[in-house]
Amino acid sequence: MSAEQINSQYPAEYAKVEALLPGQSVSWLKTLREQALAFFSSHGFPSLREEEWRYTNVSAIEKKLFSPVVHDEIGALDVGSLDTYRLENAWTIVLVDGHFSAALSDLEGLPSSVRVLDMASALEQYPDELQKYFTQAVSYKQHGFVAFNAAWFTDGVFIHVPSKEVLSKPVQIIHVVTQADYMSNTRHIITIDKMAQAEVIETFIGCDDAYLSTAVTEVFVGENADLTLYKLQLEGEKAYHFAGTYVKQEANARFKHHNFAFGGLLARNDIRTDLGRASECELNGLYLGIKRQHIDNHTRINHLQPHAISRELYKGVLDQRARGVFQGRVVVAEYAQKTSSEMNNRNLLLSNDAEADTKPQLEIYADDVKCAHGVTVGQLDEKSIFYLQSRCVDEATARNMLTFAFANEMVFKIKIKNLHDQILEQLLARFPQEGIQQEWL
Amino acid sequence: MSSSAQEIDNLIGQKYKEGFVTDIEVDTFPPGLDEEVIAKLSAIKGEPEFMLEYRLKAFRHWQTMKEPDWAQLNIEPIDYQAISYYSAPKKDSDKPQSLDEIDPQLLETYKKLGIPLDEQERLAGVAVDAVFDSVSVATTFKGKLHDVGVIFCPISEALQEHPELVKQYLGTVVPETDNFFAALNAAVFTDGSFVYIPKGVRCPMELSTYFRINAANTGQFERTLIIADADSHVSYLEGCTAPMRDENQLHAAVVELVALDNAEIKYSTVQNWYPGDENGVGGIYNFVTKRAECRGVNSKVSWTQVETGSAITWKYPSCVLLGENSVGEFYSVALTNNYQQADTGTKMIHIGKNTRSTIISKGISAGKSQNTYRGLVKIGKNAENARNYTQCDSLLVGDKCGAHTFPYVEVKQPSAQVEHEATTSKISEDQLFFCQQRGLSAEDAVSMIVNGFCKQVFKELPMEFAVEAQALLGLSLEGSVG
Repeated sequence: MSAEQINSQYPAEYAKVEALLPGQSVSWLKTLREQALAFFSSHGFPSLREEEWRYTNVSAIEKKLFSPVVHDEIGALDVGSLDTYRLENAWTIVLVDGHFSAALSDLEGLPSSVRVLDMASALEQYPDELQKYFTQAVSYKQHGFVAFNAAWFTDGVFIHVPSKEVLSKPVQIIHVVTQADYMSNTRHIITIDKMAQAEVIETFIGCDDAYLSTAVTEVFVGENADLTLYKLQLEGEKAYHFAGTYVKQEANARFKHHNFAFGGLLARNDIRTDLGRASECELNGLYLGIKRQHIDNHTRINHLQPHAISRELYKGVLDQRARGVFQGRVVVAEYAQKTSSEMNNRNLLLSNDAEADTKPQLEIYADDVKCAHGVTVGQLDEKSIFYLQSRCVDEATARNMLTFAFANEMVFKIKIKNLHDQILEQLLARFPQEGIQQEWL
Repeated sequence: MSSSAQEIDNLIGQKYKEGFVTDIEVDTFPPGLDEEVIAKLSAIKGEPEFMLEYRLKAFRHWQTMKEPDWAQLNIEPIDYQAISYYSAPKKDSDKPQSLDEIDPQLLETYKKLGIPLDEQERLAGVAVDAVFDSVSVATTFKGKLHDVGVIFCPISEALQEHPELVKQYLGTVVPETDNFFAALNAAVFTDGSFVYIPKGVRCPMELSTYFRINAANTGQFERTLIIADADSHVSYLEGCTAPMRDENQLHAAVVELVALDNAEIKYSTVQNWYPGDENGVGGIYNFVTKRAECRGVNSKVSWTQVETGSAITWKYPSCVLLGENSVGEFYSVALTNNYQQADTGTKMIHIGKNTRSTIISKGISAGKSQNTYRGLVKIGKNAENARNYTQCDSLLVGDKCGAHTFPYVEVKQPSAQVEHEATTSKISEDQLFFCQQRGLSAEDAVSMIVNGFCKQVFKELPMEFAVEAQALLGLSLEGSVG
């Protein structure tokens, strides 16, 4: 079947399961889903002809019709394996095949003023409140995946931290996909009120077969509030993954994002943030590609108000036949004087068949600004290898050490101890660790 | 600050110095473009059969194409049927053999432009192939060049005298199907320069051409082809000024460079066409396709450009580095003021082993202008040990302008080293204050800082151009920051 034929089947499939999707009684959501589905029907998934997708071909996704998972079809899950990823000392909310699992989640001891609940229940309890957030940070017209997600989402998480509340533990959202050829579509709203503070960890895992996982998160960081988001993407090796995080920052708001893209056959991550007056954002990312992985990271920072600061560092390590794509765009509006922005993208190519495509962009309409970006693509430094060899380290070990050090800079930034250890473990599992002695890590 | 704001207005408001119109009778086609026009054009030029075929092929392909819209530019729709595709000084059949025979009014024009054709020969040691509205009217130093075997002549003449050379190379670097404007150029180009440097020859002088758009409503379609055979060297200078006009004029040139084994081509441009008035009315549309192929081992091509004119600039001088150890360089200063728009940059395509490229781009935006750097660095699978260094700096003057940087980096070879750096800022208050505190006026301080900002590029320009380029920058920018 051609891509068009596959895409055109989704609306028919939609009609079959429509009644089972959450928020049936919410009229604005019904309208939104219909509009989004209509947009997807006419546009399909993004094509290479679109500038934002010129290096990422998603036609593989269009070769298959992924089935939505309705409630009674949720797959069986090996609870033990889930525990590997579950962080101690965190509130956990688990989504299995795109549906909230109360049994696996643990929200014990959450302050009563803080709301962390699944989107299906939230839509029943607070439909009017949610309307204020939905599509405020991103329109379904953004591109095919966002529209697809808006039409199909089966669940998600709603997090609301009221003003001046500081969460004592992070909230971890675990996405698990258990079945081949299924799709998991989730939609999240995270809103942090004035002067509140929170940390949220998103973990993506799944089975070894092909599946499609999409997640769209809309984030609202209030005045003087502080939010740190961690994303650990460890999808199965045949998985297709799309995640979009769209952030609105009020004045003086602080937003940090740490993105670790390790898994999936084809993974794309979008981050966009609109900066308020004197707000700060920091985007960090590490992508590791091996085998035939294609990992694409797109970020966009909109400086809309004066005095805001943005810092961005993305690093990529690409081996075997992997392809890494990075696009970082910084837009400084005419009014956003005194902006300070720095962006860096560093890529390490380890094999003849690996490829790195990178596109840092500056679009500046104000004059009193300091903006810079830098990109490098290259190999390990021969002099550093020679130095280590002169100190009796064999070449293979020297290379491993330097590659590890290159990647570890990003892991090192993680301040939550058990999360740091977990990421480190995942990093080492993916690269030759021969000679990297655990004790000095 | 307020006194310097006044100065900014004064200086930015300076009138275009080169604005004047020469009143000469011209033999001009009525506006419009079809196959008949192309056939007539080809016949007037007395071109060989293959050229007409080439033009018609390009025209047919052009008709199937759409204007590109991906650039960060705001372009008023262009009516290609409202343009006249040929204009020549009337005394075409009776070409002047020496300077004495040239229309004195024309000579006067050149004088105003500062091209002392009659005395430059001895003083500057530069051969000038002056193009006045599409037809070459004078070529000097021919004898000297002829002695060493260098061919430097209008491309229309080359088509008569060396058709086999033109046929062999024309359209091999920029095919007629390459892009919308290149296809249009291939169909209707009227004239341009042709340079052939034979094996082992180091061209004894800098080659120079001045292009000038004169008759109103005449699109100018220049075609330049430079071939540097093995072990040769040539430095080519291109400079442009145009008189003041209210209607937009289209310029779609194509420049092709071919460097064979161990050959080196240095191509320098100073572009100062009419940029439109302070309200953005008028000005030249400059849509140029420039590309070089380093076909041989150790070949080298260096592009240097100073872009201060044109209402809209759409230009990406590129290097295809095929030969092993070949080198590509791109040095650029692009200055935009008032409502000017520039989308310019380069492409470095690394195909051969050990190929190296350097990109230094300096953008200065003032007034309400938009200045964009757009570049591609592509390292192919076989380009072992390829090396690229890119630096793009932008300077903003005033809070209504924009400076944008869109680099593309594609690497398929792990032994390649690619670095890209870009910064955007305004002139630092501290630097200005320091200079003023040492007794320099605000104007001089800014001029000094801007010149320093561009120095890396200016030092690549040949002497004659470096002086002109600095004067140009000074004229448009001095003291406009405060």
